[in-house]
Amino acid sequence: MNALDIDKLRAHVEGLPGGGLDAIRQQAVATLAETGLPSTRDESFKYTDLSEIGQLSRTWLEHPTRGQVSAETERRIADVTAIADVDWLVIANGDLKAALTRSLPGLSLERLSESPPPLPALQPLTALNAALLEDGLVIRVGAGQQRPLGLLVVDDASEAPGLSQLRIDIEVAAGQSLELVEYYLSTGDEAHYSNAVLHLELGQGSAARHLRLQDRSVRHSQTQRLDVTVGRDAAFTSASFDLGGRLTRNDLNIDLPRAGSRAEVAGLYLSGDGQHVDNHTLVDHRTGPTVSRQEYRGILFGRSRAVWNGKAMVHEGADGTDAEQANHNLLLSEHAEIDTKPELEIYAEDVRCAHGTTVGQLDERALFYLRSRGLDADEARRLLVHAFAVQVLAAAPVDALKPHLDALLDTKLATINDASLSI
Amino acid sequence: MLKIDNLHVRTGGAEILHGLTLAVNAGEVHAIMGPNGSGKSTLAQAIAGHEDYEVTDGSIEFLGEDIAELDPEERARAGLFLGFQYPVEIPGVNNAYLLKAALNARRKQAGEDEIDAYEFLKLAKEKMALLGMDPKFLNRGVNEGFSGGEKKRNEILQMAVLEPKLAILDETDSGLDIDALKAVAQGVNALRSPDRAIVLVTHYQRLLDYITPDFVHVLSGGRIIHSGDKSLATELEDRGYDWVVEAATA
Amino acid sequence: MATEPDDIQQLVGQRYKHGFVTDIESESLPPGLDENVVRAISARKDEPEFMLEWRLRAYRQWLEMREPEWAHVHYPPIDYQAISYFSAPKSDADKPQSLDEVDPKLLETYDKLGIPLHERARLAGVAVDAVFDSVSVATTFKDKLKDAGVIFCSFSEAVKDHPELVRKYLGSVVPQRDNYFAALNSAVFSDGSFVYVPKGVRCPMELSTYFRINAENTGQFERTLIVADEGSHVSYLEGCTAPMRDENQLHAAVVELVALEGAEIKYSTVQNWYPGDEDGVGGIYNFVTKRGDCRGRDSKISWTQVETGSAITWKYPSCILRGDNSVGEFYSVAVANNLQQADTGTKMIHIGKNTRSTIVSKGISAGRAQNAYRGLVRIMPQAKDARNHTQCDSLLIGKTCGAHTFPYMEVKHPSARVEHEATTSKISADQLFYCRQRGISEEDAVNMIVNGFCKEVFKELPMEFAVEAQNLLNVSLEGAVG
Repeated sequence: MNALDIDKLRAHVEGLPGGGLDAIRQQAVATLAETGLPSTRDESFKYTDLSEIGQLSRTWLEHPTRGQVSAETERRIADVTAIADVDWLVIANGDLKAALTRSLPGLSLERLSESPPPLPALQPLTALNAALLEDGLVIRVGAGQQRPLGLLVVDDASEAPGLSQLRIDIEVAAGQSLELVEYYLSTGDEAHYSNAVLHLELGQGSAARHLRLQDRSVRHSQTQRLDVTVGRDAAFTSASFDLGGRLTRNDLNIDLPRAGSRAEVAGLYLSGDGQHVDNHTLVDHRTGPTVSRQEYRGILFGRSRAVWNGKAMVHEGADGTDAEQANHNLLLSEHAEIDTKPELEIYAEDVRCAHGTTVGQLDERALFYLRSRGLDADEARRLLVHAFAVQVLAAAPVDALKPHLDALLDTKLATINDASLSI
Repeated sequence: MLKIDNLHVRTGGAEILHGLTLAVNAGEVHAIMGPNGSGKSTLAQAIAGHEDYEVTDGSIEFLGEDIAELDPEERARAGLFLGFQYPVEIPGVNNAYLLKAALNARRKQAGEDEIDAYEFLKLAKEKMALLGMDPKFLNRGVNEGFSGGEKKRNEILQMAVLEPKLAILDETDSGLDIDALKAVAQGVNALRSPDRAIVLVTHYQRLLDYITPDFVHVLSGGRIIHSGDKSLATELEDRGYDWVVEAATA
Repeated sequence: MATEPDDIQQLVGQRYKHGFVTDIESESLPPGLDENVVRAISARKDEPEFMLEWRLRAYRQWLEMREPEWAHVHYPPIDYQAISYFSAPKSDADKPQSLDEVDPKLLETYDKLGIPLHERARLAGVAVDAVFDSVSVATTFKDKLKDAGVIFCSFSEAVKDHPELVRKYLGSVVPQRDNYFAALNSAVFSDGSFVYVPKGVRCPMELSTYFRINAENTGQFERTLIVADEGSHVSYLEGCTAPMRDENQLHAAVVELVALEGAEIKYSTVQNWYPGDEDGVGGIYNFVTKRGDCRGRDSKISWTQVETGSAITWKYPSCILRGDNSVGEFYSVAVANNLQQADTGTKMIHIGKNTRSTIVSKGISAGRAQNAYRGLVRIMPQAKDARNHTQCDSLLIGKTCGAHTFPYMEVKHPSARVEHEATTSKISADQLFYCRQRGISEEDAVNMIVNGFCKEVFKELPMEFAVEAQNLLNVSLEGAVG
């Protein structure tokens, strides 16, 4: 067990502003007292060791602070919010004030403490989030919302090691559509751990196109859980890009409880020296017809590790389920490790389920072909690495972000140094 | 242009070519024919510099230089083109990108400036029109989801754009219907010129109905055992390979 | 026209054909397990001191261990004190010297099972060792094998006649504390088969063991050890049956295979333990540890299994690919009908360079059964140029069963190529109708589709048994279509 100092935690929680979140905080502390943080003995954390995060949490509880926002951070924020045709809500060091003061057509913004959610069953990480959360954001999307909504989350760790919690609940009303961007950045050289919990609820016949972009620093670890409930005839389309971070763990849970609901998710993860990225996905098909598609691609180089665990669960009675998952990995270094586990759990008959997983290197035949056309070996390798990655990019929703994402990806891929490629 | 002397090549743990000799001059079209398993593709791959094909003896000279130690891309930039028997699919790399990168690699080698996007597009479309290819192909992944005929046309398109000094076309005719065959032949014929040489590697005489070779060679058991003019191809078509093989071993 | 579920349900319900009880006097230890029981088993078998020590060590380790809970199976707690750990046909007290001396009732039993123990064995060219409850009752073709230098005998005999080999290899692949059931087996195993194929010898015939649980309230804990010395080759088949009884019986076997340089072992299983009735009453708990060690360069171990029986199957025949260029294979058909639960698969541990593994798993679920594939492919950091290909398919028959896939892939070397594919499908009413419209009966159509689904695995079985496996599959699925 990866234990926390519960007395310290309790003392800290008691000092938080009172109000609607008290009950859930108490429940969260009780949960954590019992479970602690996950350890590698837990099946779903078998390949991801959170002891560093536990240590950071314990240290932070000794001196809980929230750092100042530096000029560097302001500059990074300005860079992103300059991206045209997106309405940005900026959350810097967990401060919701700036976001709450925005007024955007078709959106209503509220504090979570003003409409506290019903008490949920908590897992250790969501409990940590619930216990330490000062407040969260509730966003309701109704008619009139036009431009993509961007959530820019920046954590500044230039003064001291930090810990931050983020909680955002989004509801999309029946028949409405939302383009949503989550963009995670960090600044500063100190260690930081952020823990995000998001809920997205899609009403009947609605649609959400979702892009998640994580470009944290290599001193920044992040755990994130996104729960999506897709309503009748509603569609969730998502692409996530994990391009940075020290330790990154994403849990994407998609619930398809109504007929005609559909989820298509794609992901790209890059993992280089000192990085660890873990994507867990779960799609619950509770009825049919429902459709899910998952395709994740990983590029590993340097001394790094990546984990992928995708699961499609087809519940009893969910006949008419169509579920596919794919995970492809390029392993470019002797010091990199990939652990991948595509799971199917099926309790219905009339289903079409498939998964495919590969771990390998660049295709030698393609390399030779390119070289025979005059490209030098290094250029040919880069081209193939890029080709491997852009297949996720091609699927990325939210057109407004595409040029930015394109450029960012190029920069990131260029950092894969020659040594990593020369195998 | 190309001078191969006593070439021995090993691949997959066995020697496939046992002392092959061949000379190709500028302006000539050669056809290398032979039964299956005679070493035709091995020869093509070895000339292009595939690392699975090890030259254990003999030499390959291209434009007066021994190219045995050159990387495949160096050979390509020097003006050597291989049309693959089985062109590989490369999802995620689009045709236009590859074509432009390959063209610029050659231009750079020749000390020329890179081609600009407009000029390139114009050139590519012009060549595609010649081959009866839809310009949309440019934006598709390299050979991705192409039919057999489309892949071969794509090889010829690349050849047409890159304008190599020596083109080796490995079984370019296999798996083509008559229209595709004609289009490919037309592409090849358009490229014939006094300062360029073409080597057609083929199992059947069919392609030679449309591209008239100056020389025909029979490759068997890892050596060229017989050479002649275009009439040899017709004779092979009528009489098969056995008589040549027997004559050579007698 | 759509097929009515009822019609199809009727197709499935054929009875377990091997469920008779043999009325034979047997001697059993009273139920319960403690050190004295372990000592009694060892004494009863007249074992040398080293074996007793080995068993006691295992027993003490077992006491400290916990029953695994990670498998996708559910059953009430097993009362290990309610099981008898040793049962032997009484006539074994004066051990038969040849087949002629074997209790005719036993031979009759094997006859009923269709086991080619006697003349038929000669015809089939298969050497058979038969294990009845806890002891080996007869081994055929000993002499012919002896001429070739092959040792094929019961485990008890091996302990007495070849203690040096047993000492060297026993527990070298599956250590005593490997897992809960392996530890239990190590403490109380009663008998099993032993094979040693000397250097360069190609075993002249298929070797085979038939296991039969007969006595009530008895657990069967057999142990098989096969050692293939350098450059040798052996193919081995095991079959299993049990009577129909209302209570669950425990079978916790251990199989260890050792392949030295250039050796090849092919191990095939047709497992048809009693699966319990339509309501899930009775049946065997089949908790088995099977592992092969490709210890030498260029060695190969191939597992083929057809699992149709048992109430619960917990079984992962595995390969440790230690030697460079070694090859591991796993071909499996697992059928679960009625209330059967299967959690089976394999582990391929790539340690040596240029090692290769292939996994083909075909799971068929019917009735209210749960069928899970669980597999691990691990490429260690030193395993340069390792390759794995896994194909994992599930066929669903009916709306109340489950089919699950839990593959783990851990890759720690960049030259590795690992590929995993899985599909799930069902026998559709359309397919059945199409066949019937062409004049094929529904039952035949189901068999045809299922057999087609399993073909890749059946072709790996020794010829003599491929037909048997197909028939078994058809019987297991009778009435399953819905």
